[in-house]
Amino acid sequence: PKEQLPPEKPIIIKCRSPEKETFTCWWKPASAGGLLTKHTLLYSKEGEEKVYECPDYKTAGPNSCYFDKKHTSFWTIYNITVRATNEMGSNVSDPHYVDVTYIVQPDPPVNITLELKKSIKRKPYLVLTWSPPPQADVRSGWLTLEYELRLKPEEGEEWETIFVGQQTQCKMFSLNPGKKYIVQIHCKPDHHGLWSEWSPEMYIEIPTDF
Amino acid sequence: PICPNGSVNCQLSLEELFDRAVKLSHYIHYLSSEMFNEFDERYAQGRGFIAKAVNSCHTASLTTPEDKEQAQQIHHEDLLNLILGVLRSWNDPLIHLASEVQRIKEAPETILWKAVEIEEQNKRLLEGMEKIVGRVHSGEVENEIYTPWDGLPSLQLADEDSRLFAFYNLLHCLRRDSHKIDNYLKVLKCRLIHDNNC
Repeated sequence: PKEQLPPEKPIIIKCRSPEKETFTCWWKPASAGGLLTKHTLLYSKEGEEKVYECPDYKTAGPNSCYFDKKHTSFWTIYNITVRATNEMGSNVSDPHYVDVTYIVQPDPPVNITLELKKSIKRKPYLVLTWSPPPQADVRSGWLTLEYELRLKPEEGEEWETIFVGQQTQCKMFSLNPGKKYIVQIHCKPDHHGLWSEWSPEMYIEIPTDF
Repeated sequence: PICPNGSVNCQLSLEELFDRAVKLSHYIHYLSSEMFNEFDERYAQGRGFIAKAVNSCHTASLTTPEDKEQAQQIHHEDLLNLILGVLRSWNDPLIHLASEVQRIKEAPETILWKAVEIEEQNKRLLEGMEKIVGRVHSGEVENEIYTPWDGLPSLQLADEDSRLFAFYNLLHCLRRDSHKIDNYLKVLKCRLIHDNNC
């Protein structure tokens, strides 16, 4: 029969917070030679001796741990490990140090609108507006988002990327009449964190008499 | 200009004071973050400093909000006092950081310049915050919150690894505290100026 061994070392893949209020960590389960293996996530917080177990293994799906608001603190280093155990023994991942302040990756912006405008004095232009992702509380100032948009002609290769800071609208001039453009927007917390995924592609055709 | 020349008793509005304070806190945190990253890349790789830099900031004794709920529930006067307390607590270490960082072996000009700039801007922000507190405080200003810093000897240690860890830890704490100040000011500005509708 196949030799039965203790599990290999599990690996913590990443931790992310979508709205700077909760966060989730994911791990790659240890291969365990077919034996039933249990994974336990343990963590301690800066300034505390106590070791806690993952508060919620279910909400974020398999091989994950979800920390709700009550279990999420900022400006504090979490020391996180995952232990894999089977009947032959156990093995512990390397420690993963996390300060939730630095792992915020929001959802993409929503409610994107594109509107062609003609003004008498100046050249016609395109107005883009969008809203922050619903989960992100920017109204209270707890989370401040910055935006970047990109566009390119439908058949073009090169994206033109424009950083627009914290505003949620943008006017675009000098678009070529008769061309069809693709537009996307993404966002990131100011200072730290990761860019969101790009929003779904939006298309706008510039009329020939534009 | 906000205060045209020759105008007497010209007072900035609270909104203008907050606008300037937030711009300054954003800039100070940006510099602190850049300085930490530069130092980390150049001097701290592979030394495991992060594991040691736990719970060792001289301002750790100040009980500051650690999540959104705490930041929203604290009274604005208490949060303003906390911000002042953290800023005051950094006056002394920033003076020494600006001078001691020059003794680090091959310290790049960009780190030196940032240390001096942060010290200067921290003083300006403290002045601005005292104006804001003066406007907002309803009663007598309470006893000043402040935590002393005794880290100068560790910045001057002979052993290079220990000395570099002392700098790492100070820059790690500066990055953390300047981010707290920036975040709290943005929350206060939205609360007091924009009625929580930023």
